Amino acid sequence: MDIYDVLIRDFPFLLKGLGVAIVLLAALLVIGFVLGMSICLLQLYGPKTRLLQWPLLLYERVFRGVPIIIMLFIFYYGISGVYDISAFAAAILAMGLRSAAYQSQIFRSAFQSVPAGQMMAARAMGMSKAKAIRHIIFPQAARHAIGPWTNEFSSEIKETSLAYVIGVVELTRQAHYIITSTQGNVLIVFAVVALLYFVLNRAGNSLLYAYERKLAVPGFEK
Amino acid sequence: MKGITTSLFRSVTVAAVALVGSSLSTTVSAQDPYTVGVEASFPPWAYVESGEFKGIAIDAMQAIADEMGIDIQFQDMPFPSLIPALSAEKIDILATGLTVTEERSKAIDFTIPWWETNDVVLVPEDSDLNVFTAVCCGARIGVQGGSSQQAWMEENVVGSDIDVELAKYDSYVTAVDDMAIGRISSVIVDDTSAQEYINAGKAIEIAGKIYIRAPLALAVSKGDPQDILASLNQGIMAIYESGKWQEIINHYIPGITPPAIPGNMPDFVDTYAKPVAGLPELGNE
Repeated sequence: MDIYDVLIRDFPFLLKGLGVAIVLLAALLVIGFVLGMSICLLQLYGPKTRLLQWPLLLYERVFRGVPIIIMLFIFYYGISGVYDISAFAAAILAMGLRSAAYQSQIFRSAFQSVPAGQMMAARAMGMSKAKAIRHIIFPQAARHAIGPWTNEFSSEIKETSLAYVIGVVELTRQAHYIITSTQGNVLIVFAVVALLYFVLNRAGNSLLYAYERKLAVPGFEK
Repeated sequence: MKGITTSLFRSVTVAAVALVGSSLSTTVSAQDPYTVGVEASFPPWAYVESGEFKGIAIDAMQAIADEMGIDIQFQDMPFPSLIPALSAEKIDILATGLTVTEERSKAIDFTIPWWETNDVVLVPEDSDLNVFTAVCCGARIGVQGGSSQQAWMEENVVGSDIDVELAKYDSYVTAVDDMAIGRISSVIVDDTSAQEYINAGKAIEIAGKIYIRAPLALAVSKGDPQDILASLNQGIMAIYESGKWQEIINHYIPGITPPAIPGNMPDFVDTYAKPVAGLPELGNE
């Protein structure tokens, strides 16, 4: 059986691996979005006390500053001492928390790109801070954030391939299976895997760009 | 405008809760089948073909589990993660081509040895290197990271005045492929795997053998918290005596006579002191 027959026979398993990668990706992006947005809002509009701001800054610096592979090991083996966490949950948590640190800074730049005068104007018209953020600042910031957010999306897809180090059988690990059970063919198998990652990446980014176009305010497109 | 804000927040929050909930609930509790950790990119010991675990360690472990009357499930992990996972009790049993070493015996408990390997020096087929010229004089030598071959090389060769450099790989298959490209001049691997690569038609040859008589065994967490070491030892003897072991070996490496079980039991392993768990008549005095 040559490698192409094996690839065709085992293609469903590569797709299964891709499925695991997609679930991991979706989960980590969602955690990153919720937490990252909260951090951004607290950093920009929360109380300016050191008690709140310093821990946020520390969190963001630490999670942006430590390689994800180290984080995976720390979360998998570290949490195991207190709670019997599965490899998949540990991967989601480690990568989600790290993505939150990155996303918080994407959102911060987007919020800060809305001129400060708009907040003052909204407050002068009698809107509360929360209302002004929700109705005036956020809709503009969200539009600014999509572009840089595609970057985060693209890099996280690729980072899911590292989850195999703690035993998550995603696309890259499935490819390893084919390579080792056929004793080689590194180039062909990884070329197919690269193509799968690329297609996923392009599909996701196309959707995000389409969303960006849909949200574009007539007359304000750049 | 309001629509985007609220619906986006709401759907994202719901999805987050659902995803975290479902993923956390996949963790295993103590009553579930025993988790057997394997490195599934290590033929003929353990590998995956068409989504199914295969290999000597897989089939033998299944046969032993049948003898013991326990349920097992396999969990694949890269080799360098397996021993930490066993120490942290993320897995209950480690079943792969696992070499017994003194350092490892301090972190995990070994069953009786079920195999014995010696290491070989692999070189490209067209190479005129012999076992001495392949491991000297500025050569770059490939090993699998965290393997016993790496430890042996570091202990006996790299530290001495022989001028060699070790290249550490994730798996031996990539190391052998890298040798074909010419990035490294030789690969040190156990004789069982080497025979596999040659049988698979790779353009390599064995330049020489390093007799280390390294025992291979299964392992459990240190202190045997699940209390399964004794039954594992008895299970290994049972499949050896029933001929099932020979049958599995013949299936994966035709024409080889497996070493007798129990094999060479080094003194430095505390679980090999007499009496061995489950087999009280065995062990080092």
